[in-house]
Amino acid sequence: MSTERSNAGVGGSTPPASAPWSVAIDDVTVRYRNGVTALKGVSLDIAGGEMVSIVGLSGSGKSTLIRTINGLVPVTSGTVTVGGVRVDLARGRDLRRLRGEIGMIFQSFNLAGRTSVLNNVLVGRFSRTSWWRSLLGAPTPHDRELAFEALDRVGILAKAWTRADALSGGQQQRVAIARALAQEPRLMLADEPVASLDPPTAIAVMNDLQRINRDLGITVLTNLHLMDLARRYATRMIGLRAGEIVYDGPAASATDADFEEIYGRPIERDDVLG
Amino acid sequence: MTVAPPPRPRTWPRTLAVWAVVAVITAIAASPLIGIDLGAGFGAIGKNWQNGVTKLVELFQLDWRILPRTLPPLLQTIEMAVAGTAVSALLAIPLSLWSARLTNPWAPARGIVRFVLNIVRAIPDLLYAAILVAMVGVGALPGILALILLDVAIIVKLVAEAIDAGSDGALEAGRAAGGTQFQINRTLALPDMWPAFTSQTLYVLELNVRVSAVLGLVGAGGLGLLIDEVRTFFHYDQLAVIILELLAVIVILELGSSWLRRRLT
Amino acid sequence: MSAVNARLGSVVPPRPRHWWRWIVALVLAAVVVAVFLALPVAWNRLGDLPGEIVHYLWLMFSSPDWSKLPEALWQTWRSVAMAWIGTVLSIIVATPLGILAARGVGPRWLQIVLRVVFGVVRAVPEIIIAIIILSVTGLTPLTGALAIGVSGVGTLGKWGYEAVETVPGGAVEAVRASGGRLTDEIRWALWPAVAPAFLSFWLYRFEISVRASAVLGLIGVGGIGDMLTSYTQYREWATVGVLVLVVVVVTMALDALSGAVRRRIMEGSPIRDLAGQ
Repeated sequence: MSTERSNAGVGGSTPPASAPWSVAIDDVTVRYRNGVTALKGVSLDIAGGEMVSIVGLSGSGKSTLIRTINGLVPVTSGTVTVGGVRVDLARGRDLRRLRGEIGMIFQSFNLAGRTSVLNNVLVGRFSRTSWWRSLLGAPTPHDRELAFEALDRVGILAKAWTRADALSGGQQQRVAIARALAQEPRLMLADEPVASLDPPTAIAVMNDLQRINRDLGITVLTNLHLMDLARRYATRMIGLRAGEIVYDGPAASATDADFEEIYGRPIERDDVLG
Repeated sequence: MTVAPPPRPRTWPRTLAVWAVVAVITAIAASPLIGIDLGAGFGAIGKNWQNGVTKLVELFQLDWRILPRTLPPLLQTIEMAVAGTAVSALLAIPLSLWSARLTNPWAPARGIVRFVLNIVRAIPDLLYAAILVAMVGVGALPGILALILLDVAIIVKLVAEAIDAGSDGALEAGRAAGGTQFQINRTLALPDMWPAFTSQTLYVLELNVRVSAVLGLVGAGGLGLLIDEVRTFFHYDQLAVIILELLAVIVILELGSSWLRRRLT
Repeated sequence: MSAVNARLGSVVPPRPRHWWRWIVALVLAAVVVAVFLALPVAWNRLGDLPGEIVHYLWLMFSSPDWSKLPEALWQTWRSVAMAWIGTVLSIIVATPLGILAARGVGPRWLQIVLRVVFGVVRAVPEIIIAIIILSVTGLTPLTGALAIGVSGVGTLGKWGYEAVETVPGGAVEAVRASGGRLTDEIRWALWPAVAPAFLSFWLYRFEISVRASAVLGLIGVGGIGDMLTSYTQYREWATVGVLVLVVVVVTMALDALSGAVRRRIMEGSPIRDLAGQ
C-alpha cells in the first residue's frame, strides 16, 4: 500500500498529502431503463494503491461496473464508497469534486478532436476551474504547469499545441492519460484502454498505467479483454460474467481454465495479445 | 412441370389511392366557391393578357436611369442582412447548446426551447415584418428584428441537429473529470459545432439578402420601399433593373460563400 | 516558465500564434460595428423596445377577437389551396426538368441552361415573381399559385438534379446495357432510386409554400396575408392576435403531418405478409 510519490512526479508545488483511494462496492445492482440488469448484487473491496484488472465478455457488466465508481451510471440499489465517501449519494458540486479526484480513460480516447492537446489535458482541471476562466479559456499558471508536467510524464510534451485529431491512436490515449494525471487523482479508472490500439502501442500504454500505479501509488482499475495483459499488468484480477463476480484472485496465477470459467466459453485466439 | 410463381404484391391500389386523394384535393382547391377559383383566374388572363404582355415586354426595356436611386436602398438591404446575421449568430450559440440533447441533458428545458423555436419558425418573415412595423414604426429596425426571428430558428435547428449527430465521447470524459455542463459545452462541444455553425451562418447571410430586399414592401427598410414605389406605377422597366442588381449581389455572395466554405473545410 | 522547464524532462514547445485568425476576426468585427453605426436606427431607444413589444403582445393575446375566427380559417384555407396548387404545378414542371438537368442524363448545353434558369428563379424572391405575374393575371389567388409554382421550380429543380447525381450509376448502366432508351432508363432504373427523395422534397416544398402563400397575401392576392395586412394597418390588435394564432397552429399542424409522411417514406413501410390472405 505504497503512498509515497517521487519528487519528479506530477504534483507541482504541493506534494500530495493523503493516501490513494480505496473502493468499496456493497451489494450493487444496476438495472437500466430498457430492463437490462447489468450488475446483480455485486460486492467488491479494493484497497488504496492496488492495481486491479477486470475481465469478462462484452455484456458481462465491466463497463457498467467501472462507471458506477465515479457515478456516470447510477446504481439501482446498493452503495458505492470511494475514499470513504458515498458516490451514490453525492450530487452536484460534491459529485463533481469527487469526480475531480478520479481520473478516467476510455477505449475511444474521448478527446475533443478540434482543439489542442493542451486544452484536452486542461479538461482534467475542470473541477478546480472557475466558470469564467473556462468561458475565456484562461487557465491559471498553476493549472498550465500541471498540464505540461502531465504531458511530459507520458512523453508527448512536444505535441502540446497540436490539434488532438492530428495524433495517432496511441498518442491520443497518452493525451487521455495526461488528462487524467492532471487531475492529481487518487484513483484511476480505465475502460478498455487498449482495445483500439495495435500490440506495441497497447503494451506501451499498459506500461504507462503500471508506472502510474507503482511510482505515484495511485489505485488503478482497468477493464481488459486480453488475457495476457490482464495477467501481466495487475496484482489482482476480477472476473465478471452476466453481471456477477465469478473470479477474484491474484492476477499472475489465473489459469486458462479460470478464464474459460469467466468467459463461459473456450479460449479464442483473439483473447491474447500475442 | 409448371412453376407456380409467388403471388404478386399488390401495391397499386395504395398508389392509386394516393394519386386519387391528391387529384381530389387539387380539384377542390382550384374550384370556384370552395376553392380559389382558378377558372376565374384564367378567365382574367384571357381578358387582360394583351395588356399584361405589353407590361411584361417593358421588363426587357431596362431603364438604367434608376440605377443611382437604387444604390442607397441596396446598401441598406445588405447592411440589414449583415446586422441580422450578426445578432442571430450570437443568440444562436447558447440556444443551440440548449436545444441539443448532448449539451443539455435536461429534457424539459430542451423541450421548452424547441417548442418556442417551432412557434417562431411557423410565422413567415414578412408577416413578422408587417406586425413589427405596426409596433415600432417604419424603418430598418423592424426589418432587422424580423430577420433575427427568422434566422435564429433556422440556425438553432440545424446546429442542434449537427451537435446531436456528433459523438459524445469527449463530453463523457468532461463529465468524468468533474466538469459542469457549462464547462463541458464551452470547452468540448463548442469546437465541434463550429463547422455546422459557420455553414449555417453563411447560408443565413445569403438568405437575409433575399429577404431583406423585399421587407421594405411592408415598410421595413431596404430595397423593398423602392420596389413598392415602382410596382405601384407599374414601371416594370425600372423593376427589371432592380431585379438584376439583386441577382448580381446574390450571385457574388454565393460565389464568395462557396469559396469561403472551401477554405474553411 | 523557466522554473517549470527546469522540472520537466523536455522543453515546452513554443506556442503557435495564428495571426491571420486574429486579423480576420478583427475585420469581421469592424465590419459589423460599421454596419450597425451606418443603419438609421435609433440605438439609444433600444431599451424601450422590450417594453413596447410586451405591451403589443398583451394587446394581441390577452383577449383575442374570436369572432373573426371563421373568416380567418376561410382565408387560411385559401392560402393553403394556393400553396397546394402552386406546389403541384412546380412538381409537374420541375420533375422532368430536374432529371434532365442532371449530369449524365441530358445533353450538356441543356444542363447548363436549366441550371441557370433554376438559379435565377431561386434567387428572385417570390413576391417579386408575383408582382411580375400580376401584370397578366391581376390580383387573384391564381397569381399567388403561379408565383409559388414558378419559384418552386427553381428549388425542386436544384434538389432534383442533385438527388439524381447521387444515385450510383449501376442500375442506369444496366438498363442502358440491355438496350433501353433514355425514357426506359429513367422509368425503370432512375426513378425507383430517387422516388423517396423526390417525394420528400415535394412535401418539404409544400411546407415552404404554405408560408409563402401567407406572405403573398400581403400584396393583395388573397388569403390570410391579405387579412393580416388590413387588420394590422388598422391596429386592430385583438384580431391580429387571432390571425397569428391561426397561422401558427395551421402551419405547425401541416409541418407535423408532412414531417410524419416524410419519415414514413424514408424509413419504408412495414413488410406485409404476402403469402397470407
